Amino acid sequence: MRDVSYFAPTEVGEAVKLLAEYGERATVLAGGTDLVPRINYYELRPEVLLYIGGLGLDYIREEDEKLVIGAATPMARLAASDLVAEKASALAKAARQCGSAAIRTTATIGGNLANASPASDLAPPLLVMGAELRLASAREQRVVAVKDFFTGPGETVLKPDELIVEIHVPLPKGKTVFLKLGRRKAQTLSLTSVAVRLEMDGKVCDDARIALGSMAPTPLRCTKAEGLIKGKALDRALIAECATKAVAESNPIDDQRATAWYRKKTGTALVARALAQAAGIES
Amino acid sequence: MKYALSFALNGLRVDILVKPTDTLLDLLREQLRVTSAKRGCDDGDCGACTVLLDGEPVRACLTIAPTVAGKEVTTVEGLSKEGKLHPLQKSFHEHAASQCGFCTPGMLMSAKALLDKNPNPTREEIVEFMSGNLCRCGTYEEVVEAIQAVASGR
Repeated sequence: MRDVSYFAPTEVGEAVKLLAEYGERATVLAGGTDLVPRINYYELRPEVLLYIGGLGLDYIREEDEKLVIGAATPMARLAASDLVAEKASALAKAARQCGSAAIRTTATIGGNLANASPASDLAPPLLVMGAELRLASAREQRVVAVKDFFTGPGETVLKPDELIVEIHVPLPKGKTVFLKLGRRKAQTLSLTSVAVRLEMDGKVCDDARIALGSMAPTPLRCTKAEGLIKGKALDRALIAECATKAVAESNPIDDQRATAWYRKKTGTALVARALAQAAGIES
Repeated sequence: MKYALSFALNGLRVDILVKPTDTLLDLLREQLRVTSAKRGCDDGDCGACTVLLDGEPVRACLTIAPTVAGKEVTTVEGLSKEGKLHPLQKSFHEHAASQCGFCTPGMLMSAKALLDKNPNPTREEIVEFMSGNLCRCGTYEEVVEAIQAVASGR
């Protein structure tokens, strides 16, 4: 049996130094809710485990019209935060619906993104809010928009020596809505999920953001559908057209949770419902 | 390579050597022989291994053992005091809220976590919070009733 090394640094500087040293041999451990099952089932045999729960990256602050969230902030803290509920309700709702209570205790916002599941609960709301990730390595600090972060299922632009340190969420203008459909009401992975953000001027939509989860190899912004409703007065017919267009931009798969056909059908309904809620129209 | 780990288990200090890929569940069951937390799925889904870590519910099967350094772990073995059952244990017993009993330790720890935070939960809050604990015997109704009874002091 191979020897596994374990490091639990207490400062970001120390952590990125270890990442620089071990690179691809290192496996970053935060909450572990996605990672540890893979270790338990021998799908992953880590050589070096780097635990980042002691870096002090567990915080939510409001700064310069942004929410600044530490990458190791657990879902439970996001779900219970009055600040998040008040300023970014779609994010709070997504965190509340992620996994079960015991999962939310440990699962982190940074892990939810780094794991890059197409079904990531937090990605759709962060996409419509235009969130940015602060990445650190021993070489440099850089900023990557959430929309540029995912490159495929389980794949991101994160380099082997980089760590997600913070997530910056501009305080959203307009109204945000998050809806998720799973196989049961709670403790479930999404079959499809949607986040929208609408800035309305009366009945006219000044600006729109629509994002889908579990509907493509990565969480997906639906820019064509957004373009369809920008600057127009919203009614139920236009919302239905927009929902159809959003789902037309997606590319869901058949898997053990649902068929692509079912995801498209329910996804269309979910987008329409979310848009109606955000616009204050009865659907 | 093994790492020295110190933590508190049900109020007692534990000093032990662990492998970095051991989970808290491996440590409790295989090394310490504290067996109330059950290995159901090893995947975080079933809830049978739920324990409290610094008072918060976690999956022992998803918790890498060395990460509990300096923390307090509570299992069912830590619930009863001086031979007297915890009110939740008593209520589960009185409401027949277990059949085979495999899920019961996890159910009890989740229920404790819920009531510690929210002493008067609504039925919906109980159902939502307990959704992470699966019972193949189907004792869900009795579990909700047992928790409601403790919350209302019955």
